[in-house]
Amino acid sequence: MTLCSLLNTRAKVFRPPGFRSSCPADAPNFLCRRMGGQRDSLLSLHLTLKRNRPLGLFGTLVLILGFHLGCAHNKSQTETSKQIREITDDAGRRVVVPLRIDRVISLAPNLTEIVYAVGAGNRLVGDTSYCDFPEAAKTVERVGDTLHPSLERIIALRPQLVLVSTASQLEVFTHQLEHQDIAVFVTDPHDLEGVFRSINQLGAILGQDDQAKQLIEQLRTRAAAVEAAVMHTQPIRVFYQLSAEPLYTAGHDAFVTDLIRRAGAISVTADVPGAWPKYSAESALAARPEAIVLPTGGSMGDGNSTVAESLQRSPAVVQGKVYKINDDHLVRPGPRAVDGLEEMARALHPDVFKR
Amino acid sequence: MLEAHDLTIRYGQRTAVANVSLTLRPGEISAIIGPNGAGKSTFLQSLNGQIKPASGSVLLDGRSLEKFNRRTIGRRIAVVAQEAELRFPITVLEFVLGGRFAWAANASWGWETAHDIEVADEVLRDTELAYLSGRLMNELSGGERQRAVLARALATEAAVLLLDEPTANLDLSHQSTLLALVRKRCEQSHVAALVVTHDINLAAQFADNVLLMKDGKTISIGKPQEVLTPNLLRIVFDVTVLVDAHPITGVPRITPVHDAHRLSQ
Amino acid sequence: MTRTKADQSRQNVVYVPSRNRTTFRKTLLACAILSTGLLAAVVLTSLVGSERLPAGASLCALLSFGRAQCALTTDQFDILFQIRLPRILLAAAVGGSLATAGASYQALLRNPLAEPYLLGISNGAAVGTMVALVFFGANEWSRPLLAFVGALLATLAVYRLARGRAGATPERLVLAGVIVTTFLSSVIVFVTTLMDATRIRSFTFWLLGDLSGTSKNLLPVAIVIAVAGAIVLAANARSLNLLMLGERDAFDLGVEVGRVRIIVFLVASLLVGSSVAASGSVGYVGLVVPHLARLSLGSDNRITIPAAAFGGALFVIVADTVARTVIAPRELPVGAITALIGAPLFIYLLKRT
Repeated sequence: MTLCSLLNTRAKVFRPPGFRSSCPADAPNFLCRRMGGQRDSLLSLHLTLKRNRPLGLFGTLVLILGFHLGCAHNKSQTETSKQIREITDDAGRRVVVPLRIDRVISLAPNLTEIVYAVGAGNRLVGDTSYCDFPEAAKTVERVGDTLHPSLERIIALRPQLVLVSTASQLEVFTHQLEHQDIAVFVTDPHDLEGVFRSINQLGAILGQDDQAKQLIEQLRTRAAAVEAAVMHTQPIRVFYQLSAEPLYTAGHDAFVTDLIRRAGAISVTADVPGAWPKYSAESALAARPEAIVLPTGGSMGDGNSTVAESLQRSPAVVQGKVYKINDDHLVRPGPRAVDGLEEMARALHPDVFKR
Repeated sequence: MLEAHDLTIRYGQRTAVANVSLTLRPGEISAIIGPNGAGKSTFLQSLNGQIKPASGSVLLDGRSLEKFNRRTIGRRIAVVAQEAELRFPITVLEFVLGGRFAWAANASWGWETAHDIEVADEVLRDTELAYLSGRLMNELSGGERQRAVLARALATEAAVLLLDEPTANLDLSHQSTLLALVRKRCEQSHVAALVVTHDINLAAQFADNVLLMKDGKTISIGKPQEVLTPNLLRIVFDVTVLVDAHPITGVPRITPVHDAHRLSQ
Repeated sequence: MTRTKADQSRQNVVYVPSRNRTTFRKTLLACAILSTGLLAAVVLTSLVGSERLPAGASLCALLSFGRAQCALTTDQFDILFQIRLPRILLAAAVGGSLATAGASYQALLRNPLAEPYLLGISNGAAVGTMVALVFFGANEWSRPLLAFVGALLATLAVYRLARGRAGATPERLVLAGVIVTTFLSSVIVFVTTLMDATRIRSFTFWLLGDLSGTSKNLLPVAIVIAVAGAIVLAANARSLNLLMLGERDAFDLGVEVGRVRIIVFLVASLLVGSSVAASGSVGYVGLVVPHLARLSLGSDNRITIPAAAFGGALFVIVADTVARTVIAPRELPVGAITALIGAPLFIYLLKRT
């Protein structure tokens, strides 16, 4: 039995005769304004204590303080127990969010895209400087970049929910936000299924279940179509070059590795531990990739548009099978990932996709 | 032969040396005596080009010092200054061989020749450091290090030796042996030496020529007997001295008369 | 006591012949041994890498200087001669340059702690290279050139800061170096964070070094500069010996102090500049290798500088081999390895002296 309930019971027992629900004349005003539903019990306790001189005002204040600290939480819970939901995010955290969300902030470009895709774009009150899709996202208030968003600005925007991608390494950050009673939801999809799951979860949180499910259906269909088309082809050995100098590629934990697999190819670095390992030039050469994917043209601009020196003599370059694909479609685990999948599959297996 | 004519050296506004002239003749030891801040060391440093005078000239064998390159000056003038910085381990022999640098055939890479080693060995013997030649310099005592510095200067076989307070760290026995060595070098090899020292009696004993300086100016110059008089010494040091002839050597013996109650005057 | 010494000097008997004097022969021997070691290291480390190559066939191909393919496949041949060997040669050039520069700074500044990295000269070169990448990206030659300028400016800054009334005492020098290097590190982090990483590389490249990006044009330049620079500095070795004892002493003994100082600053900056432009800052090489050389061979720069050159090359070759094989096929930055090896080694050296 908690102290609160104990105190509540006592208060009711000590209720003096003739007590009315409204504020009696000799009760301090602040009590009436503050405690709302528990006012009656607290008031009765106060009156009881007041009339028992020995305890005095000091005892009253102490007990009021105890009430406030101990019982305030219970109060809000019981009042709004129907207005929240609990959901587990990709980091295994149990997150409590209001049922109706009107103000949400996204701290990663892919999450911004998902929010708009499920039709909740009008409720986005803040995003990062890298959030450039759809166009409307550019007009939303910027709270900084993905790695170093401004805590102050986020709090100033009074969001109910902040969406975070673990790629942003915001561990310390999330604690600070939670301290401000702002719910933080972490997504971390490693593959396309994970993206669908994220869309589903965000759709549910934002109350756009139908739209989310519709979107997932469409994306699933398109992905399945691609996979069906390439099902009977020989998987092509692909090298994914994230940067030429120094040489970085996609490892086992990278999201794009799954896309490559679904596009009827096999990433030669699929077994390398980590997500974005710095790769040995020798191994890249020895891998003899048949095709090279260069993510470029999106947020990367014209960077990374040439193949690394060590790969210049690979079969891919010799046969001209170097494909530049919009990096935003390959790097952001969001709805456009399926665009990336289709683009890669079309580039790698052009004969299957001839219409 | 090294001549300084009317040298004036300034540090910014301050005049450290004013119109001082001195000639160092081969075979002679000259001494500069004076209180701290008299400009003795500054004057010495201008004699090999270390410090540039504001006016006046220094002539080495009749030609202006500025006309010589550093290596030639290094061959003709050697300096014995205070202890060198010894942050890296170096043996005594290597240290002394440094004096042969100016004689190296090849300006930069130059390796020591057999002759260089001979010269170094000889000076080590003369300065009684032969048994320490393989030791590291920083393992030596202060006095031994000072002798090594002298040995290095002697190894340069320079015709002019400039010594800046060479006996500062030496015990009595080595004070006289060091100066006796300089004297011997001067006589045998016609070397001219200049000694800046605080030790007036040592100067009286060994110097042929004494320059008294105060506040950068020449107070007097000449033989020890002429210059080391009570009057002149009082002008320079503001101390009463007794000057008599040393009972054994006959050179002037200067005994300061310290007044224990001086400060109360 | 006096009598005994006089006896000794008269007898010429108990005079101890110097054990430690550095002779030309000793130097030649040391260089021969070290250069053989270096050659062996180059050959042996070319056999090691993230891809396994057949040892016998590789050796055969190496000994034929690339003319015979021996039993290697085209790919293996390419790996050996297009990727591995250039990288190893770059490692040698960078290591030799940095160690020689370090040895020279230590002699000139009379400070055993003087090192391109600690003095901020490496970071100055890094900033210079960054400027080249941003403003003259296409022109490869601008990188070592501006790196040289950056290194020189950093040198001047440190020298000026360190010069107090009493000259550049070691304490002031280390302090000035720390100020300049930390300031420039912050500048590097600042600029790399703001700017597009694909244009100017991440700050781990600049601050921890990376030998994987060997440009076909810049490798020969790095090697030529390393060799020429080492020769020029070695040629001034005897002057540096005297400068190690104090500028005044050196002057008195006939060293052209001003000229030597300028030469050393210029050449050392060039060495550091070309290294950093090619591979970022590889720390500790200029500190540990000269100390090891001095500890085993004496402080005479005529042997220390060439020994540092060879030793530095060896050190970085080994470190880079570790960096590119320990988590193969992934790679570590070589500066991390040199620090991991160098720091404990340096502590050990400090305890020995």
